[in-house]
This record gives sequence, structure tokens and C-alpha cells, in this order.
Amino acid sequence: MASLDEEIESLQARASALKSKLQIQTSTLLAAPSTRKLLTPPSSTLTTDDTTPLRQKLLARSAIQRAHNQQCLYRACAGLTLFRAQDPDPSAVDGGAILGLRVEIVSRAKFLRPYYVLLNRPYPESAYLRVHRHTIPACIPLAGLAARWLPPPKGEAKQDLARFSRVLRREVVRYHHRLGVVADLRKAAGLGGRKGRAAGEGGEDELEAGAVPAGGKLVDITPADAEAKQISIEWANGCAGRLVMGDDGEIIKLVAVGEGGRDREAVRELLGGAATVEDVVKRLASG
Amino acid sequence: MARISIPTTARLPSSLRVAPSNPAVSKILNHLSRGSLLSIVLDWLDENNQALAAPYLRAAEDEDDGLDDLNPPAQSLEELQELYADLQARKGSKREVLDRIVEGDWRHGLSLYQLAMADLQYLYDHPLSQKWSAYRIMPLKPAARDGGGDEHTPPLVDNESLMVPRFHPSTFLNALQAQVLPDVKAHYNFDRHRSLPLLLLRIFILDSPYNTSLGIAAPKPAPTTFDTSRTVYIAFPDASPHVFISKPQTVGASAAAGESKSLRTLIVEGIPKALSRPRRRFTLKSTSLATRNLEEMVERRGAQRTNSAAGGWGVYADETKKESPLDTVLPTPPLSEEEEGGGERKRKKRARALSPAARREERAVKRARLVAKARFGESARVDDGKGVERVDVVIEDAFPEDEPTGKSGRRERLRDGEREGEGEEEEDDDSQWQRRSKGGRRSRADIDLEREREIEADRQREAEGGQWRPNVRLTFRGSHVFAGLRQLVEHGIIDGERMPGWLTGEEGVTVGAVRNGRIRGYKGSGV
Repeated sequence: MASLDEEIESLQARASALKSKLQIQTSTLLAAPSTRKLLTPPSSTLTTDDTTPLRQKLLARSAIQRAHNQQCLYRACAGLTLFRAQDPDPSAVDGGAILGLRVEIVSRAKFLRPYYVLLNRPYPESAYLRVHRHTIPACIPLAGLAARWLPPPKGEAKQDLARFSRVLRREVVRYHHRLGVVADLRKAAGLGGRKGRAAGEGGEDELEAGAVPAGGKLVDITPADAEAKQISIEWANGCAGRLVMGDDGEIIKLVAVGEGGRDREAVRELLGGAATVEDVVKRLASG
Repeated sequence: MARISIPTTARLPSSLRVAPSNPAVSKILNHLSRGSLLSIVLDWLDENNQALAAPYLRAAEDEDDGLDDLNPPAQSLEELQELYADLQARKGSKREVLDRIVEGDWRHGLSLYQLAMADLQYLYDHPLSQKWSAYRIMPLKPAARDGGGDEHTPPLVDNESLMVPRFHPSTFLNALQAQVLPDVKAHYNFDRHRSLPLLLLRIFILDSPYNTSLGIAAPKPAPTTFDTSRTVYIAFPDASPHVFISKPQTVGASAAAGESKSLRTLIVEGIPKALSRPRRRFTLKSTSLATRNLEEMVERRGAQRTNSAAGGWGVYADETKKESPLDTVLPTPPLSEEEEGGGERKRKKRARALSPAARREERAVKRARLVAKARFGESARVDDGKGVERVDVVIEDAFPEDEPTGKSGRRERLRDGEREGEGEEEEDDDSQWQRRSKGGRRSRADIDLEREREIEADRQREAEGGQWRPNVRLTFRGSHVFAGLRQLVEHGIIDGERMPGWLTGEEGVTVGAVRNGRIRGYKGSGV
């Protein structure tokens, strides 16, 4: 019985894998220029059976696919794209017209789920925009950015959507880079991922037994605040430190406090003339 | 035990013991079920907690100490641990465990730390026992340096600030202690929430200037000072500029409501000051969200994407959906049948065999379900555990009579308006709605025209002033208000397409005023 179930399961898995493969092939085929050439009836021979419904359908599908491909291309290359959406609320301002801002994030060679900012035009006398909904994490000061670059139409303040989007994207990308650099630090210091840390004491014992030459001295590295601008570092000898990172990853300050007050030795050993956190990562990784 | 008590400004130490006869102790312990009681007792008996929760043990040399007792003291920690583990294994009454704790092993008193643990256990057992309100931490503009007697003008909220408030538990606690009046003593206990990304701070307030056990032990003329003591919880969500504060509950005898309110205000006022640092001032601003459900709180005011993309907007925040630009496969539209699964198609085939009326009905049901999905997204499911239990809305729209357009539509709506007052919430948008329902895209001129009309209407409203605005207040109550509304939409009782947006809960507020069909006051959930 069990073997039959397993067989069914594996067959189902195979079927779904083949289906997704088929989808990919279809989309590639549809968007290919040669397919399009085949589908478009040659203009010289205007025969009636060339405009079959099936051909029309395929052509429409191909057009949609090409549009989608173009959108993907813009999204992949620009990192910041606009789109239009419709607010489902029947009493929404401006007939429910929404301008969406899509911020792409690349982290560890992968596109993450993009962040969205949805803008509407609630002001009756002007076309000024306002942030309606968004999915930006709470540690990005979106309210402050919007107040600076998308002020309400009072006084002389002008809105600057391009500037707003650029600054916003920079903040989001910086935030993800900071998170990435903390993860790199952990890796370089021989500390496991977050899951390994959650596993508890057993994991830590293993780490110490593993004895990574450079990282053996560091016990824990975690982001210490919401923006991940501060990193708290713990040494094996009970020394605790705090690293403050600037906007561009430069080290503003690193303070370590051991049992007998400030431990400048540990700081010097960790930094060794490094100016940015990436340098520290390299130092740790090289040993 | 100290022989004399001197008033101090220090906080209450965690190790301070409260006599087991104190009504607060029995009240806190009585709350708990037998299982949780035993589990926290075993926690107390843990090696690491001995400094703060040591039980009463019999010294090895005096053999007859308390042997004639009902609950003879144990000789060692291991013995006690075994005893309570035995109790855990077999069935019995809660009373038995309670008596053993109060009269036996902790006859010399339970420390404040133990009480805090018991209270937190109650919070975990009954997650809906506290009513929370969410506050946003807002940066203030730095004070003007001219110093010309403007100390009394309150500093303004700095809207343009890019600063994200940072929170450091021990610094915060020290600063908060400095804010609390010297004749009020408080015990603070930090705890990490077991399942949510929250840091819980339990503040136990005691109206006494002393921080010794003599101060707590009942002074003879007055009853115990615990009568006026209160517990306030503050929750700090990770990586989010919000604070959740619980409404205080009284422990022991009832206290005057005003008094407990003032203590809460004291705390609420103290929190922003405690968060502030030199040249970095913060204030707290209410975000009109009050609920018993912490999970919902974290969802709406946490660190994640869902903060201001609730309801149908959740499709933008859904982390599980992959949307890589490198994936060239055409995405399936959110409400298409492919996404619904294969079952849908089968039903369609069967529908063909049905009578026309039944088919129409089935179509209507399906449509209602799709509309509900479009408006609510994946939110507001009955079993998602993220429900608010009460929503208060004031409708400030003018009575529809003097609206020149859209009369027929209104009548229609009133016919299918099923709840009192609901007919009145969208009257100003009748015209908008009607025009939209005609279908098709509207031209630029149309929009301009409409905006013109809106301005005119606004002006009219201001000019007349005497327009009749009926005082309509809606209160929705239930275990999960928005899930209930979703069910009404799914069953076709509410017309999901004409339902105003605030009924989907996408604003993320539980108190609000509606104008022109939109919640005002809390200016959109965007910023």
C-alpha cells in the first residue's frame, strides 16, 4: 500500500514538474520572434483562412507574453518601475486611480519580493500625490521621506516623485545591504545562520569545537536596532561590543567593553585598520 | 529582612517577597489552571531561578522542623522537583497544588519575580485577556535655541525626520524609573513573547514609597497596599516604531477608576520621555487601533510589510507569492479559475445540467465569493486568529436628500441595505459610483468635472453649515469583526462591490470617523 502511495506521489510531483516546464517552454516559444513571424500572415497572400480564430488567439497570447517580457526586462534592469492599479473601494478618491511604485530588491543573487508604494491623488484642486498604501518595512522612514518629497499642496512646496522614488529605493537597498553585511559577518566569523542560533546551546558548543581560527573568538553577532545600523558583537571572553555603521557601510564607531572596562585591544584586533564593515568581513574570512 | 524602611526612589527588587497571605498572591495564582501552575512551579525550581524564586527548604540538622505540618518542607531542590513532576503526571485538584505552594514550599513568601512569571503565564494562557492600544513613536523637532520663554510651548512633531527610534531595554528602564514619581514603587519584568516578535514589559505598580518587604507587609491600620497596585503591560514589537500598551487591570480589591487611569497616564507620559535621549525627543501618538488580539497588533503595527497593506491590498504584501522579473511565465490573474484549483471547473460542468434559476443562483454565489476575495484578499478569515473584537465608526456624511444626482441608486441601495445606518455611509459617492458602474474608462474631462463638483460640494458644505448630518454611530462587535463582514459578503448579504473600503478593515483602525465614504482623522494608513 505504502509503495503505491509513494508511486502516486512521485508521479504527481513529476506531473507538476512537467506542467511547469511546459509553461516555461510555452512562454519562451510564444515570445520568440520566429514564432511571431510564423503566426503573422504574410501580407502578400491575403487569404481568408489565415484569420482563423485559433491564430488570432495565439497572436493575442503572444502579444501579452511579449508585453510581460518587456515588463520583466524593465523590472530587472531599472529596479524601480511604475504601474497603474485600481482601488476596489467604490468611494475611493479620484475614481480609485492608483499609481504604483515597485521597488526591486536583489539580495544574495536573487530577486526578493518587490516592495510597493501605492499613491493616489486625494487633493481636490491639484494633481499632487499622496502615499495611500505601501509595503515598506517599518524601519524605513517612509513618512519622513514622503513629507520631504511629496508634501501636500500647501505653500510653495513642490512634489518630486522621481526624487522620492530614488531616495526611497536607496534607503530600502541600503537596509537590505546592511542586513546582508551582518549575515556575511556571521558567516565569516563562523557563526551559523539564524536558525542555528535558535537551536540553542548545542549549536554553540559545536561552533566552539569547530574552532574557526579567526572567528573562534566571536560568539555572537546580531543587528541591534530596527534599521540594522548597529551591530552587537560578543566575544568569547565575555567582552561585549557595539558597532555603529554609517549609511554606506563605513564604521562610525566600535566600542567593546570587557570585564575591566573598555577593551581597546579587542577592537583593534577586530578592525585592524578596516574602514568599512565589508573590510572586516574580508579580514575575518581571510583568517 | 530590613528592620526599618526608608523611602527611596529605587525600583522594587525582583527578589522582594510578598507574604502568601496577601490577597494579590492568591488572586494571581488562582487565575492559572493546574497545568500552567505546575509548569511555572517547575520553572521556579530551575537552578537558574534559585536567586529569585528559592523555595522553603528544611535544613538537614533540624529534623523535626514542620514535620507535623500538612505540607512538610522538602529537604532538597531535587526532591521538590520530583514532587511537582509527580503532581504533573497524575490528576488532582488545583487547590492541592495551590495549598502546597502557598502554605508549604513558599510559606516565606513569593518573590515579585515569581508573581510576574505567574501573571505572564496567565497572559500566554489567555492571549485575549488584555486590551491593547497601539501608539506610534514620533520624533519631535529639536527645541528652538533662542530660549526666550518658549519652554511652555510644546515641541512640534517633526514630520520630515528620517530618524527611526531605537530601543534599548535597560536604558529605557532606568529612564522610565526616573520618570515615575518617588512615592510610587514599581516592579519591572522583561520577557520575550513566546510566539510573537515582541518584548513584553510588565510593570507592577505599588503605592508605597518603600521598597522593602516591610513596606509591602500590611501596616496594621490600613489594609495591604496591594489594593491600589496595578499591572500594566507594555509590548515593544521588534524593529517597529510602535508601542503597545495594555489597559490596566486591578489586582485585589477594586480601586477608583480615576486613580487607575491616572497611573496609566503617568506611564504613558513616561514612556516617550524614557525613550528620548538628549537632542532626540519622541512623543507617542495614538494610532486608533485598540484590540485584545496581539497577533493582529503585530500584523498591523509590526515590522513586516502588512502594516499598511491590509484587506485586499494584502496581495502586494504576500511574501509567499513569487514575483521575480526573471520568471517569464505569464502570471495567472489573482481571481482566475486556474488559481482557484481544478474543482471549480468540474462544478461548472455540473451546473450546465441544472435549471436556469439554479444556475443563476450558483453564478451569484460564485461571484459573491470572488468579490469577497477581491475586497478582502487573504485577510479576514474566521480561523486566521487575527480578529479585532470591536470597531467603532462615526459617520459624518450629510443626509443624502440634497444630493442632486444618483437618487435612484440610493433608493436601490436602501432597499438592499441590511444593517441600520449602513445605507448612509456612501451617499456622497453615489454619483461617483454610478458613473463608474456604467463601465468603461472615464475620460480626463470626466475626472475634471467630477473634481469640480467635489470642490463645489465642499464649498457648499462649508457655506451652508446647516446641512443635516445625522449622528450615526456604528459599533461592530464579535470575535472577529471583519471575518464576519467577509462572510456576509460571501453569502451575498452585503453587496461586496459597493461596500465601502473601511468595512474590509484595510485602514487598520478600530476607531474612526467616516466622511465621503472614507475614514478620516487617521489620514489613510499610508503615512
